[in-house]
Formats: sequence, C-alpha cells, structure tokens
Amino acid sequence: MVNAAYRFLRSLPTWALWAIVFLWSLPTLGILVNGLRPRDGQRSTGWWTVLGDERGLTLENYRTVVEASSTTNLFDAMLNTFAVTIPATVIPIAIAAFAAYAFAWIDFPGRKGLFIATVSLLAIPLQVALIPLLQLYVSGAHLTLPILNKTITLIPDLDLAGTTTAVWLTHAGFALPFAIFLLHNYLSQLPGDLFEAARIDGADHFTIFWRLVLPLSVPVLAAFGIFQFLWTWNDFLIANTMAGSNPDALVMTIRIANLAGDFGRNEHLLPAAAFVQVAVPLAVFFGLQRHFVRGLLAGSVKG
Amino acid sequence: MSKHRMLRFFSVLFAVALIASACGNDSSGGDDAAPSDAAPGDEAPSDEAPSELAGTTVTVTGPERDESEANAIQIALDIFADANDMTITYTGDADWEANINTQIEGGNPPDISIFPQPGKLADFARDGSVVPLSDAAAAATAANWTEAWTVFGNVDGVQYGVPVKTDLKSLVWYQPDRFAANGYEVPTTFDDLLALTDQMIADGNTPWCVGIESGQATGWTFTDWVEDLMLRTAGAEVYDQWVSHEIPFNDSRVVDAMTTVLDLWNTEGAVFASGGSIAATAFQDNGEPLVAGDCMMHRQASFYAAFFPDGTAFADGSEGAVDVFYFPSIKGDSPVLGAGTLAAGFNDNPATMAVLEYFSTPEYAEARQVAQTEGKDGGLSGFLSAAIGQDTSVYQPLEQSFLEILANAEVVRFDASDLMPADVGAGTFWTEGTSAVNGDITAQEAADAIEASWPS
Repeated sequence: MVNAAYRFLRSLPTWALWAIVFLWSLPTLGILVNGLRPRDGQRSTGWWTVLGDERGLTLENYRTVVEASSTTNLFDAMLNTFAVTIPATVIPIAIAAFAAYAFAWIDFPGRKGLFIATVSLLAIPLQVALIPLLQLYVSGAHLTLPILNKTITLIPDLDLAGTTTAVWLTHAGFALPFAIFLLHNYLSQLPGDLFEAARIDGADHFTIFWRLVLPLSVPVLAAFGIFQFLWTWNDFLIANTMAGSNPDALVMTIRIANLAGDFGRNEHLLPAAAFVQVAVPLAVFFGLQRHFVRGLLAGSVKG
Repeated sequence: MSKHRMLRFFSVLFAVALIASACGNDSSGGDDAAPSDAAPGDEAPSDEAPSELAGTTVTVTGPERDESEANAIQIALDIFADANDMTITYTGDADWEANINTQIEGGNPPDISIFPQPGKLADFARDGSVVPLSDAAAAATAANWTEAWTVFGNVDGVQYGVPVKTDLKSLVWYQPDRFAANGYEVPTTFDDLLALTDQMIADGNTPWCVGIESGQATGWTFTDWVEDLMLRTAGAEVYDQWVSHEIPFNDSRVVDAMTTVLDLWNTEGAVFASGGSIAATAFQDNGEPLVAGDCMMHRQASFYAAFFPDGTAFADGSEGAVDVFYFPSIKGDSPVLGAGTLAAGFNDNPATMAVLEYFSTPEYAEARQVAQTEGKDGGLSGFLSAAIGQDTSVYQPLEQSFLEILANAEVVRFDASDLMPADVGAGTFWTEGTSAVNGDITAQEAADAIEASWPS
C-alpha cells in the first residue's frame, strides 16, 4: 500500500518530463506533418486533420525545395553555409583556448583589467556594429590627420562585402568574448597541482597547454563548438547583411527565406525547407554527442 | 589512451577547418572571377564589332524572388547581356526593403535595384543615392510608357525610375458559371455592385471573401479597398492631395471611404472569412473558399491568380473557371488602382544606363512574360506590363483582359500606401485600419490616429 503510493509518487517526475517532451515536440511534429502535405491542404486545414484529409501525403514539397534553383541551388547554398560555419566555429575556439589559458594561468601585468574588458564586450549587441563593419569591409578604414592633412590607411580596402569571408569573420569576432569567458571559467577550475607537477617535470607554457589543457578541456570545447555551430548555421541577419546581395554567396537560411516567394505564395514550402535546414545540425549533434557526455577529467588525474 | 584520441579528434577538426577555409576562398573568389570568365566568352566570335558594353558586369536586386519570377527576370536580362557580351545578375531578396538601406549605408549598393514603392525611390533620389536616368534611358522610358506610369519614377521633374512591371488592383475575382446558375449579372456600376451584394445575401449566398492578415503587413488589403473607394468617391484629384498630405488624413472624404468599406464588411452575412474573422484570415486563403463556393466574389489584384488552388482554370469558359470583372466606378470615369515596380540605378556607368534603357522596352516585357509563363508550366504568369508596343499574343486570355482594363482606364493611380511616408503607408494605415476592421475603433478614430502619426 505504502509501497504502491511511493512508487506512484516516484514516477510523477518521469511523467511530468514526458508531458514536457510531448509539448515541446508538438510544433516540430506539426512542421514535419505539414511538410508532407500539399499546398491546398496546408492552406485550408490544420496539420492535425491530416488523418481525415483525402489529399494525402506527398514528397512534392521536398522535391521542390531540393530542386528549386532561382537564387542558388540547394547544394551551393549548403556549401556556402559550410564555408561560413566551419571557420566561424573553429577559429574562435582556437583563439579563445589560447587566450583563456593565458587569462587563467599566466600571471602578466594588467591581466584582470584586460579580462574584464574582454568579458564586458559580451554586453555589446552585434546589431549596432553591423553597418560600421560592412563599411569597413567595403572601403577599409582610413584616418585623416587634421593638421598634417595626411591620410593613413589603418585597414586596407579588402573588398570583402558580398563574400562568405565577411560573414565568418564577423561571426568569429563576435563569438570571441563569450568563448574566452566560457573557456576561462572552465580552465581556471582545473587542479593547480597538475600544472605544478608539469612545471617540475620541465614543461613550458606551450607544452602544458598542448599536452595537458587541450585534452582536458575537450568537453567544454565541444560544448562551445556546438553552440557556435548551431548559431552560425541558423544565422540569417549577419549573412544577409554581409553577403545578401551576392547570389554566389547566399547561405541556406537566405535561400529558404527566398523560397517563400512574393506575398508568401510559396509559404507551403517552408516546413519542408525547415527540415532540410536542421538535417546537418542534427547529424552533427548526434555524431558528437559522446564527446559532450564524456567525464570531465576522466583518466587524467588519479587519486 | 584517451589523450591520443582527443588529439586525433582535434587534428581532424583542424584539417576540416583548413579544407573549409579553402572552400570559403573558392566561393568568394568566384564572383571576382565571373566577369573575366565571361569576357573571353566560349561562344563563337560574332561578326559584329564588339559592343562597348563587352566585359562589363551589372548587378540588379529586387524584392521578387519566386523561382519563376526571378528566373524570368534573369532570362530576360540574359538576352540583353548575351547580345552585348556582358554579364547581368539578378538577385531576388526576401528582405529587400531593409537590405537596400543597409547596402547603401554600408557603401555597396547594387548597380540597379527594382523598387516596389515610388515613395522609397523618391527618398533615395532626394538624398542622392539614386542617380537620374541618362538622356537616352529617359527618352526610351518616355517612348515606351504612357505618362500615367512614368510619373511614378519622376521625382521633382527629373526621371529616375523606369517602370518594369504593372499590377492591376481594381479587380473582382468570381466564377462566371456560379453567377449564371444564380442568375447574377456582372455589375457595371458601383450601385449595381451594392445591389448585387444585397441580392446575394437575400438569396442566402455569401457575397464576399475578405481576409486581411499578412504577417507584419496585416491590413494592406484594407488599405487597397479604401484607396479604390477614394478614387471612386472623391476622385483622382483629391486622391493626389490625400497622398501628398495636402488634405489631412482625417478629412471627411477619407473617413467616408473608410466607413463605406467597413459598413460593407460589417453587413450581416456579407463576408466569409475562413479564419473566423477578417483580421485573422490570411489574404492568401481567399482563393480556396471562392472556388469552393463559400463566397461569390473576392476583390484582389491581378497577381492573385497564383493563390487559387492547383488546377483552377482561368477565363476559358470551362466549368468552375475563375474570371475577373472590373471593380466598377461611381462617376463613370473608370479609375484604376495600380501598383508595380520601378528600376533605378545607383551609378551612371554606361552599362547601368544601357540596362535601364533595356528595362523600359516592350522586348524586355515580352521576354519576361514568355519565360515566366514557361516557369509556371503554361499557367498564368502573374506578370503584367503596360509597356507600349508589346505583342499581346504572349499573354493569356485573362491577362489580355487585364491589359484591356489598363488600356481603357482614363485615370491610373498608384497604390496610395506605397506613396505615403513609410510610417503611415507601411505603418499606421495598416495597424489602425486593422483595429477599425476588428471594431475596436471607429473609422473616424482610426483616421485621427493615422493623421497624428503623419511625420511632420
């Protein structure tokens, strides 16, 4: 009796979790179902009526999404997205790992102030910097000295506007403050004994970083990597501002937005397009999943 | 052991990164390479002397990005590009209205952009972003278009824009055989239209399908109705004063036009709204109920053909075919509410101006119409042009009737909300209008609020 009541109470959280899982998956299910319904079906009734709908299911939407090529074909757009996403993920991680190690374990003058300055950059919304950045990409930065009447070129005119380079450069720059902050918090928690032992064995900073810190911080690097990957994969604003005018550099999100068409007349393609868009992030997430759950210090320090 | 595996994981990551950045350079270098690729040309050398435009590249952007639309524009432009050994690229942009501002401020506007709103073109012309047409391009525009249309690209007496596409808004969609079965006749005066509405209600039919939901632009369908009524009740002259704010927005004639629309929609049994209420019904969702017989008429622009269910026949006399009649006039002056797009250049390079000149020609309109009809598998193209001298045989029967309405129109006026300042025309006119449709405020209150929001 008491046992039964106890078992019932103990199962409550599980049921609550299932309820939440169900509620949160519901919109995704709706998109999945609607993606398989023809336009007239989507336009006239809700997705939950699919079972009684004589219009049935079709792969036509997916076929159109994959084959449409008015702006850029799907394969080119996906390559562009990779060309943005991979540098925009790897470069900030590489720089931030070095910076975070220095902030955490190298004692240099002005360390605290510099770290606070870096972290406070988190508070700057990237939207305010978009147009100045675009101007920088278009025409470089030039400083005219007032009295000497001499112009110094600080950044040359690289003509980056409309290229995927401009997009990943922006992503990489804006990812750095958070990456440094996150990695610093993790690295500063590593046991100091480890570093002392390494130094006694004659290791310099680079050896410590390369042989000790990097292998130990794979979980946090992977965690940040997937956040950054997802964020850049799904980004529309930056890609649209920096490269939206060049049909050869369009990423998937822009291409999908264009699919909807004038006056939204092809909005019925969007559910199918959404699933094409999430396919790669899902594959990456499931593929790298075991790196996220691996124990933080597994096998590194004994006792 | 795990250390090694992690290192391996990293080396893989770096290798992928290197490959990726190589890819990135490739694709970004691609557009630089494009012109030089095109310049030598794989085609057989032509006998003619090389065009002075040879080797140039012109970029065009615009809000039209449908598969068939964007392809048709590109195909029509390629005809000119191939003839002159140059490269023209068209990019359709879902977020054109925001992006063109960013591109201008960022310093990399396209060579040419296609404007859906003359108001925006005028703003850019006055601040110097858009350049006037060259003499040749302006002369071609004047020769190929009537003044009713060129005037929308004219800012303070200087021609900046070339009309490239025409939408006809004063149309009512209906099914002729359903009218015949009920003994209804197509109304030729506005009073007939109101009488027909009453007749339909008395017969137990629902006369109108109305839905004004359109995401951020919810309410624009209402503004179209009001504009059509303004043109009919107050006349073109007052309409112009209304657009240029020489009369206030809450002038009694404007309020009357709004009230007429609202009274018609609020008449018991007059409106079928598939979404439950007018403001909750997507404007795209009115084609299906019209074909299904839930309502008898739907007032919407010429491009609406794309929103009828697949397989709908148009004006071919078959059963269930959909046709249009002209939204009748009150004073007998047959005013037409139109809209459309205008191309304008951001620099005065000879190549840019040559492409603008080509945009104005009937040859461009025909090429686009043919390509777009093909893109729609022979269905209605959704494209319409009022350029003079087109071969109308490239248009289908229903589209030819659109052209006929345009040709018969004595008065053509552009969609007022596209001419008004964006705060009003793409702002309060929509939002306050939607509130009035919902019955939250009266037409007078809505007009007062819109007037108060007019930028001084």
